[in-house]
Amino acid sequence: MDPGSLRPRYKGMEGIRYYDIRHVQGESTHIDIDNGVIESAGTSFFDHAVIRALTRNGWGILTVDNFQGKGKHEIEALIAETAVISSICREEVSLAEPERGIRKVPPLIEDPRTVDLEEKTGILLDLEQSARIPGIGNTKVSYTERFDKVRFEDSTGFEGGYEICRSGFGIMAVAARNGSLQMGYERRHTIHGLNIRHQQDLAREAAERAVLLLDARPARGGTMHAVLDPELAGVFAHEAVGHASEADLIQEGNSVLAGKVGQQIGSTMVTIADDPSLPEFGFEPFDAEGSAVGRTEIISGGICANYLHSRETLTSIGNGHAGHARAMAGEPPLVRMSNTFIEAGESSLEEILAECREGILLKGSRGGQVDPGRGIFQFNAEYGYLIEHGEYTRMVRDVSLSGEILQTLFSIRLCGRDRLMHQGYCGKGGQSVPVSDGAPHILLDNAVVGGIGDS
Amino acid sequence: MRWWAALEILNPILEAGKGLVDEIEAYLIEGWSVSAELKRDVVSKSIKSHHYGLSIRCIKGGRIGTSSTSNPADWKKCLLASIASAKMATSQVWSGLPDPRPLHGPPLAFDSSLEPEPGAVQDILQGMLEGASRHPVSVTSGGATISLDTITLANSHGVLYSRPQSLVSASLETIRETSTGYEFNSSCSRDFDPSAIGDRAGFLSSASVNGKEIRTGAYDVVLSPLAFAQLLSAVVVPALSGRNVHAGRSRLAGSLGRQVTDSRISVIDEPLRRGGAGSTRWDAEGTPTRRLPLIHEGILESFAYDLKTAYRYGAMTTGSAVRSGSGGLPAIGYHNLVIEGAGADLMEEPSLYVQDVVGAHTANPLSGDFSVELTNPFMVSGGTYEFPVRKAMMSGNVFEMLREIAGLGNDQRVIGSLLIPSIKLKKQQIIGK
Repeated sequence: MDPGSLRPRYKGMEGIRYYDIRHVQGESTHIDIDNGVIESAGTSFFDHAVIRALTRNGWGILTVDNFQGKGKHEIEALIAETAVISSICREEVSLAEPERGIRKVPPLIEDPRTVDLEEKTGILLDLEQSARIPGIGNTKVSYTERFDKVRFEDSTGFEGGYEICRSGFGIMAVAARNGSLQMGYERRHTIHGLNIRHQQDLAREAAERAVLLLDARPARGGTMHAVLDPELAGVFAHEAVGHASEADLIQEGNSVLAGKVGQQIGSTMVTIADDPSLPEFGFEPFDAEGSAVGRTEIISGGICANYLHSRETLTSIGNGHAGHARAMAGEPPLVRMSNTFIEAGESSLEEILAECREGILLKGSRGGQVDPGRGIFQFNAEYGYLIEHGEYTRMVRDVSLSGEILQTLFSIRLCGRDRLMHQGYCGKGGQSVPVSDGAPHILLDNAVVGGIGDS
Repeated sequence: MRWWAALEILNPILEAGKGLVDEIEAYLIEGWSVSAELKRDVVSKSIKSHHYGLSIRCIKGGRIGTSSTSNPADWKKCLLASIASAKMATSQVWSGLPDPRPLHGPPLAFDSSLEPEPGAVQDILQGMLEGASRHPVSVTSGGATISLDTITLANSHGVLYSRPQSLVSASLETIRETSTGYEFNSSCSRDFDPSAIGDRAGFLSSASVNGKEIRTGAYDVVLSPLAFAQLLSAVVVPALSGRNVHAGRSRLAGSLGRQVTDSRISVIDEPLRRGGAGSTRWDAEGTPTRRLPLIHEGILESFAYDLKTAYRYGAMTTGSAVRSGSGGLPAIGYHNLVIEGAGADLMEEPSLYVQDVVGAHTANPLSGDFSVELTNPFMVSGGTYEFPVRKAMMSGNVFEMLREIAGLGNDQRVIGSLLIPSIKLKKQQIIGK
């Protein structure tokens, strides 16, 4: 980037090639209900800023609480301090010219601020009650709602801001019998406003599943054909492919996707993309360093096409576009996923089960993890069913899937036409950001399934 | 921040709250940290952070309210939100916040000689790079942080405690071909050798190259302190919380006084351990801390309680409150959880050594069933690493696994809030080729 293009608002910028300030303030509300008891319900407040200054040495970063109300001179002093901090760095950084653009935050269908804490708590108590079916010993509901007011400015004179509300709930039901415990869990988070009304059926489903799991047998581990439901296949897209495509990891030499652009790395029916502009839970109006957001196709028809980038990684290694830098309030931006998904194919679930014939259907997710450098991933399904003669039969519990990313991408034999997105939070570098991921049902050949059962 | 400066912030809050609620408590953490990150072998980012957090807890008629803010000037808004929060909560049996006690003494988790300066973290990074350079590997990333905080707690019964705490942490990741290695350390003092971190991270990736396949079957397994800590934290640690026990979410409920692990295992929280990163004389709500034996030689002796859970279920608080709840509320946690037992060299007999596991957090926290991918597995024998294993998965049940162990190692180390050795297990189910 050409320092001549700087139009800084603040003075005293000697030696500073670029700076930016991202200030996030707002409030968060939580309601925790455990076995009918309102454990805690209330609102908290936050105000965090992060200042980055790029000098000839590299990045200096300063994070500051209570930035609101800081005057021009104070901010100039903070920027100068940030530049001094960079003195120990030894990295020559250049930044890609940013594409600019600010997308509109979708309007809230029902603004959670118009519903008071008491009414929300009442709705959640009713929701929790719905999960109290015979066999259930414990139920727990947690609700979160967070309003972020984001302001960004940088030394090119670019300024942008937006307000976004992220809210949602999780319900857990624990079934107990003869010392054996099993749980069912559902969660829904959204950027579209209050989503806790009319969710009693979902709560009941979680509870019914917990009770059924008491009678489910543990899965038998081994290599077998596996059908992944949209939630678990979404976790695969996120853990196995998404993380490995983050260009900061590519730059560090810590990803098996390094050097793979243009190569066939998976079955031709696999297309995987990340798109922060989609109005899903990982939506961003613009990214954490002021770049416009849009769709990046990581794998197109089995060919490694692009990486996810910040401005810095784009100049450094290319292939893709910036707009994938994200940050928690008061934390420096990192290359992150937003809404990551496997594109839908053409098969129906019946066709997929028939094609699988003998194997296992894995449903729901208890999370996952990846070692992108080694190319190994692991994740756990909430439950599953055996597939026998092309139909799913007996329920099994505690079943996991692990494998090698590159090998597994080739073993995707079919993609369904029923893509669904699920919401969650993704951790990296000590920061947790809202994401969604999704997929249709997919059929994997010869998957490595883990379980302690013998049948 | 000195305690008298904190008092200038906390006193008006306590005063303002007194007439409005039965009891009030304010918890303040203020501090700063410096850190630096490596990208490959170059320092790429240098970061300085000032952080600030105020939590106000109110109790009125057995209803507990909470709010927090990162802005001290906002305390009135925070106080009102905390009072509003108390109105919403379900009333419970409540016998009061702690009274003041003479809990003086030098800080237990603080090194006054630490200088949170960029140069100090740079030295740590250089030390780790030097250690890694002893092996034919590439460094991919790393980081070092020094932080200093002051924590002050005051309540309307006259409690006013303040303590400084420091933390130094460092980690390094390396790669050779597609074998990765990771090592880290943390302490309240700069009392560890950064080059040893680099050396171990370098060894792990270089020694893991050209791993061999092993057959699916039952193997004697040695879990390193890290791998053991991952599985223990996902399953056993939450099951020891009194809260989970009474809510019907712990498999250990109803097992007090019974054998729950092999008699060679003891689990004790030691909050007064000098130099422990979590050491403190008072917990996050002002209860004096004490040594808490949870499992003694395999027998379950106690669960951990904070005030809220103890009052509700007619138990005594064990001084186990930490600040990790919603809105800055205290919740049950541990200070320095020590896994103790007679240690031995576990690498003599042939076994599968596991440095780390991928996916421990996906274990079933209620039943204890888990299935994880192994990181840096090696076949060991005669005290040496015989050969690396390319890929393997381990499935089992954490509770069952601890009932009969082959032994604990003599290599106890700090992993987060745990002080833990390696463990040897007999005949574990491993999925290989």
